[in-house]
Order: sequence, then structure tokens, then C-alpha cells
Amino acid sequence: MTRDTYIFLALVLTFAFVNGVLLANGSLAADWNSLGIMVAAGLTLALYSFLYKDNPLFKAAENIYVGVAAAYVFGQYWYQTIYGEIFVRLKALGGEDSTQGDWWLLAPTLLGLLMLTRFSRRFGWLSRFSFAFFVGLGAGLTIPRTISSFILAQIEPTLQPLSWSVEGLNLLIILVGVVAVLVYFFFSVEHSGVVGKVSRVGIWFLMVSFGASFGYTIMARLSLLIGRVTFLLDDWLHLMTN
Amino acid sequence: MIQWLMNIDRRIIFIFVFFGVALPLLSNVFLPIKPTRDVVAVYEELEKVAEAGGTVLLSFSYGASTVPEMQPMARAILRHCFSRDIKVVAVCLWPEAPGLAQQVLEEIGTEFGKTYGEDYAFLGYKPGNFSVVLNMGQDFHDAFPQDNWGTAIEDLPLTRNLRTLRDFDFVFDLAAGDSIEFWWIPYGQEKYGFPFAGGCTAVMAPDLFPFLQSRQMVGLLGGLAGAAEYETLVGKQDKATAGMSAQSMAHLIIVVFIVFGNIAFFLSRRR
Repeated sequence: MTRDTYIFLALVLTFAFVNGVLLANGSLAADWNSLGIMVAAGLTLALYSFLYKDNPLFKAAENIYVGVAAAYVFGQYWYQTIYGEIFVRLKALGGEDSTQGDWWLLAPTLLGLLMLTRFSRRFGWLSRFSFAFFVGLGAGLTIPRTISSFILAQIEPTLQPLSWSVEGLNLLIILVGVVAVLVYFFFSVEHSGVVGKVSRVGIWFLMVSFGASFGYTIMARLSLLIGRVTFLLDDWLHLMTN
Repeated sequence: MIQWLMNIDRRIIFIFVFFGVALPLLSNVFLPIKPTRDVVAVYEELEKVAEAGGTVLLSFSYGASTVPEMQPMARAILRHCFSRDIKVVAVCLWPEAPGLAQQVLEEIGTEFGKTYGEDYAFLGYKPGNFSVVLNMGQDFHDAFPQDNWGTAIEDLPLTRNLRTLRDFDFVFDLAAGDSIEFWWIPYGQEKYGFPFAGGCTAVMAPDLFPFLQSRQMVGLLGGLAGAAEYETLVGKQDKATAGMSAQSMAHLIIVVFIVFGNIAFFLSRRR
């Protein structure tokens, strides 16, 4: 056995010992809720063990997460939509209270089923009807909404009248930033002279933007760590005072 | 020393960050938090809804992987709604969201003694992303004919007369993905013109700032900091506020490592 194997065995035994102590001193009760907390704590520690190096505990926890998430999502699709809305409402068409049914559901159901013919070489061509429908529908819905929401609605506040105020200064910075970054991404002209200088300003704006995004990303990742550490210290070990 | 700093084992940094997070949490220190303009804007919009005795649509679009950021936000928003007797209708546009939404609705609903079906309703998950938003705008009852437990929403007093998205006084999306930017704004807010705001993970916040300037969003809660600011406004310090001191300490440690790393880099280049 290698040194790492001894380390991981020691960790597993320590985890079992800590849970034993928590159960013995009454911090955790012998019920399903506490079992859930212990399993969650064990999986959290197993996933963080990757920070030391890749190991079987991490791999097991990772695979459990993928499996549970896939099953949960399938359950949601099945009970809420496939069974809850399609199966029940189509079945109602032949029942006593046919007002609960809806013939229109047959159209999307059929299109959805045609998608599954992709698995067959013989009938795979049928899926093209569904794809044609979705591509056409998607393009028709998306193009006008994108132009309206992301281009027209964004141009308007960028071109507001400037004024001698803090708001005016903000507008000026945004205007300079938009123009400079657009010039930077204009590759039909050589970036030298005035164009080069303006595109240089564009690079600075992009750098500030990347820095802000990176800062927010660090904040987000630390928030996730804080969440897990809070769970371990509070829900599992009961060490936090509030 | 410089060489050691340049080749420092990343696991040493992990240990520093871990203690930087754990020690402030254990010491139970709360740093003062000043709510920013975009968070105050959400609070004020909900106050307007409260004065009008209105109804809010709360959309849950996040999963288990972003719970530490999003769940405190959901709690703070619901506390504000229920403390001011605002009616809440909750829907889920992410398949992982229903369990999390149900948990927080029941917890805060019980805290304020709210009645299901009259004060709040939970309509569960519906697949389809932006097409669900469009569907809700055209016919809310067609998009969500029944609640999470199979009761027809026609039978719930709260949802009986809500026919389209325009019948809601405010829509708030809790998002860990594309839902604010690519579902709610183009297919909901822009098309149907209701007051809209969102809460998102910190990673997404910079991408959403342009929608504040264009007033397509009333306000924005960005990450744990946004949740902590909202907790301050609501007057109930909870998990987000507790996490902010740990956040600040961890940021300080990372900044120190960046500064030392750069000093070591420039000194090694000089040699």
C-alpha cells in the first residue's frame, strides 16, 4: 500500500469516528435526517479531497452526483410533463370527462416521438420533420426578439444626451468604451495611426471588463466554498454559535 | 525565498483559503453591509407592489450546484414578500429547481403563517426554456394548468384570475444560467412590458449590467453579496450576511497572494 492509501484510509476512519462521537453526544440524532447530513458531509469531503490529488473517493462521489442528478431530472420530466400533462390529458380524451383532454397535445407529442427515430437507420429520416419545425420556429421567434432586446434596446441608452454631471460622465465613458471596442473588432482597416490608438483604448476597456468578470467569478466560487464550509461547521459539526 | 514563492504548492494556498473562510464563520463576526443602488431598487419595487396589494411571480432557475448563492437570495426575497403580505406565485424553469423552491417556500411560508393557495402557490417545473415564458405571456393557465401536486390552478383562489404575465405586478427570476438574459428579457419583459428584476450568481452579474442601464431590469441582486445586502434591507441577518465576513477574508488572502506573486515575479526577472 502506498502512502496516499494510508492517508485516505485514515481520513475515512476519522470521518467514521467523528460521526460516532456526534451520535454519542447527541449532536446528531439517530434518524433519517441525520443520516442525510452524514452522507452529505462525507460526499462534500470526498469531493474536496481532489484538492490533494485525484483519488477513488473523489471519483465515487463525482459519479454518485452525476447519477443522482440525472435520475432527479428524469423524475421531473416524467412526473410533471410526460405523465402529468401528456399521458393524463391524452387518456382523458377517451374518458368520461373529456373536457380535461386536449387533442392539440397530439401534435407536439408526435413531433417529440419523431425525434427518437434518430436511433433507427431505417426511420431516421422522419426526425427531419421535427428538426425542420424546431429550426423554423426557433429562428422565427429568436431573430425579432434578439434585434429588439439586445440591439435596439441597448443602443438607446448608449446614445443619451451628455451632461455636466456624474451620470453624464458615466454615459461618456460608456460611449467611448463602445466606440473603442467596436474599432478594436473592426479588422478591415490596419490598426495603425488613429485607428491603432483608438483600438488600444478598446483593449484597455476589454481588460477592465475581463478583470471585473474574473473578480466576480472568484466571488462566486468562494461563495460556493462558504456554503459547503458553513454546512460542515454548522449542520454537521454544530460548531457555529448562531 | 523568491524561488519558493514562485513555485509555491497550490495546496498551501488552499489551506490558507480554507482557514480564511472557516475562522470568520466560527468567530461569528458580522461586517457592516451597505446596500447598493441596484439592490435597493428591487426592494423599493417590491414595496410598491405591497402598497398596491399586488402579486409577484417568482421564477426559480437554479440547481443544487449554486444553492449557497441562490437559496439565501430566495429566502430574503420571500421574507420581504410575506412580511408585507405580497402574494407569491412560484414557477421553476430548471429541472433541478422544484425541490429547492418547495423547501424555501414552505420554510418561509410557515415562518410567516401563510396559507397555501391563498397567499402563495407553487406550480412546479415546466420544460421548454423561453417557450414557457412566451406561453405564460399568452395564457398562464395553458402554460401551468396544475400546481406541483396536480391541483388545477383554476381551483386555487390565488391563481384563478391570473391569465397572463401582465396580470403580475412584478416578476423576479432567480437565475444560475441563461434565464434572465435569454428567456425573461427578450420573450417576457420586452414583449409583455411588466416590471422585471433578477437575482443571479456572481459569475453572471457583469453580463447583466447593460440591462440595468437600458432599464429592461429594475434592479439586480448579484451573488452572495447581493443576497447579504437584501438581508440587510429586510432586517434579518441570515446565511448570506454570515458568509460575507468569510468572503472578505478570503478575498484579502487571494489579493495578498497575487501581490506577493507579482513581486516575486518581477524580482526574479531582475536577477
